[in-house]
Amino acid sequence: MFKKILFATTASPSCDYAARVAFDIAKRYESELIAFHVLGIPSRGFSQSIQDVRTGETVSYDEDYIQWVVEEIKNTYAKQLDDYSKCIISAVPGIPHTEILRAARKNDVDLIVMGASAQQEDGEDEESFVYRSIVGRTLQSVAKAARCPVLVISRPAASFWGGFSHIVFGTDFSKAADSAFLFSLNLAKALDCKLHIFHALDISSVHTGKLKEQDEIDEQLRDARNKIRKKYLSNIKDFKNYDIEVWEGIPYVEIVKFAREKFADLIVMAHHTKISDPEKALLGSTMEQVVLRANCPVASVNHPDKVANL
Amino acid sequence: MPEGKLCNRKLVDTKEFLDALLSDKSGEQYYEEMNHLDVDTAKLWSTIQKTFKSRLKTWLEICAHCGLCADSCFFYLANNKDPKQVPSYKIQSTLGEIVKRKGKVDNQFMQMTMDTAWAKCSCCNRCGMYCPFGIDMGIMFGYLRGLCFSQGFVPWELKIGTGMHRIYNAQMDVTTEDWVDTCEWMAEENEEDYPGLTIPIDKENADIIYTVNAREPKHYPQDIAEAAILFHLAGEDWTVPSEGWEETSLSMFAGDWESCRMQVESVYAAMDRLKPKRMVVTECGHAYRATVIEGPYWAGLKSGKPPVESLHYVEWVAEALRTGKLKLDPNKKIKEPVTYQDSCNYIRNAGLGDCAREIMSYIAEDFREMTPNREHNFCCGGGGGLNGIGRYRVQRNIGLKVKRDQILKTGAKLVIAPCHNCWDAIRDQEEVYHDGIRWSFLKPILLDMVIVPDHLKPKEE
Repeated sequence: MFKKILFATTASPSCDYAARVAFDIAKRYESELIAFHVLGIPSRGFSQSIQDVRTGETVSYDEDYIQWVVEEIKNTYAKQLDDYSKCIISAVPGIPHTEILRAARKNDVDLIVMGASAQQEDGEDEESFVYRSIVGRTLQSVAKAARCPVLVISRPAASFWGGFSHIVFGTDFSKAADSAFLFSLNLAKALDCKLHIFHALDISSVHTGKLKEQDEIDEQLRDARNKIRKKYLSNIKDFKNYDIEVWEGIPYVEIVKFAREKFADLIVMAHHTKISDPEKALLGSTMEQVVLRANCPVASVNHPDKVANL
Repeated sequence: MPEGKLCNRKLVDTKEFLDALLSDKSGEQYYEEMNHLDVDTAKLWSTIQKTFKSRLKTWLEICAHCGLCADSCFFYLANNKDPKQVPSYKIQSTLGEIVKRKGKVDNQFMQMTMDTAWAKCSCCNRCGMYCPFGIDMGIMFGYLRGLCFSQGFVPWELKIGTGMHRIYNAQMDVTTEDWVDTCEWMAEENEEDYPGLTIPIDKENADIIYTVNAREPKHYPQDIAEAAILFHLAGEDWTVPSEGWEETSLSMFAGDWESCRMQVESVYAAMDRLKPKRMVVTECGHAYRATVIEGPYWAGLKSGKPPVESLHYVEWVAEALRTGKLKLDPNKKIKEPVTYQDSCNYIRNAGLGDCAREIMSYIAEDFREMTPNREHNFCCGGGGGLNGIGRYRVQRNIGLKVKRDQILKTGAKLVIAPCHNCWDAIRDQEEVYHDGIRWSFLKPILLDMVIVPDHLKPKEE
């Protein structure tokens, strides 16, 4: 399982929890780990100038600078590296999501691990705005396009990849969710744990005054259950350790609540929005909201490439 | 001291030299060496005698010092009408002096000349439109940059740029493998949303050969994907060359004419090899100028034209929308006030102003012209290589003010800027002045509103 893992890190405290998970998983499965850092964003037109993502300073980079950043990352993760040495550290300049996706493709990785800042409320100054929108956009773009599962860790409570007993698969019945389901199922089989197939019926329209009759809601809940049976259970065959649940509400709230109730160790979802505007991405899709609020890691899976054989 | 290790009259045609330049942080050693670089006055004068011909001679001599060019220059306006920013003064006090002194100028003079040629002129050619004699200081500064370059007095980043072109045939270190790989990657990443999408490489006899700016494969591959999707939706028979895909020319900004020729010949070779009907270049102004307007002369083509008919991206978009190859959802037209940044290099210098207006009429409900506009429009403030030169950041930022005032006056918060340089300058302007302005290329805007024909839609289960 997970022969190659790309741990995309900002090399700052916001990725500490993700680092713990990345090293944990790598150690557990003896994976080849690539700690990957996009060190700066191109600035000043065609020149070699970049804005260092950690310091905000404009610097011109070359091999020496990159080497220096690599050394810094080695220091940051000295403890983990002592414990697990099958790790390559790589730093490149560029637009973070582009370079993460490029590296994931080039190295044919089986899993991407990322951190996400949970402190969205903190600081209204511009720097944090820019930083946040970069994180939001990076997460959005990587989660959408990556060919392998993307595991996102935002909170300390979510930073343990240990003995697994419950996996929650949240579905929106999209095509991408088929891959997410396959990943959840295969993972549940491999780790011998319970799979919760969950759908949240979106009734957030009540807030705009569009009330639904309870009968209508009940009917939709029934429909969703049937859909789950038809779509997923037919593929499940010999695996018995699952249950089905459909709740109504605001989808991200319901998923987080459900996962909490079930003591979930992992939430798996598809993330396939087409919104690429960073401003809109900041407002967040269901997945981003789940990532920021869940007590466990969240895996985004959108493509079938890396989920069939775990 | 004669020539330095980094700052010298040598051409950057080895990877070792290029790497040495790159490893010099912000060009510190480079500019320090420049302080000691001798001027080869004999060579300078002989170059002038060979290349300073009747048009430039006439221009220098007939300038009546009337000052009508003053108000045409955005640097003059942005610098409180400093007389030292009057175009005729700027060229007379540099090129004029060098000619008058028959090339006998010293290091200090050459540094002053360099600072003038790159930080006080973006070669936008606006002054040429206002001079009663039609004297174009932009052209003369282009020539002067060539003289500076031949003497080793060129901004550090542009010296690196020439090296990139000489070694990679691209303005950045993007190899053929990198380029091809990026195209394959982008096709892969989008084929699910757009079934059948491909980026055909080296296809012969296609209707369109598409060429780009190296920044796209290097940092913004999404741009290539967007172009591919739009060609795909328009049903175009198109291709990209595996070699000769880079249209830009930092060498043109640097005044390294030999590498300008090498670069443009690589593009023309791709045309000759693949025999496309037409060429389309991405949303880049100077790329078009280099390959379509100046290039044929660098390459010695008697026709004065590239080997095949060559279009700027806005020409293709206008045509695709006009003929209905691309259909837009009328409900998705841009509702908010929006303005258009006329790039000097393809609007003023190639007359494509109508294309831009035609496109805006299809995509915007409230299009607001900047004043002045079209061929009279001001440079974004970052043209001619200025965006990338650290040494002139302060001067560049002051120059941005004119464009900023123009944009703010329109009341629009969104600027369509189909030119990499303009796009950068407006982004930087926002970074410096914080006006809440947004900027965009055409491609993402079009992708938001294009109607995907039924037979090209992904099949949902």
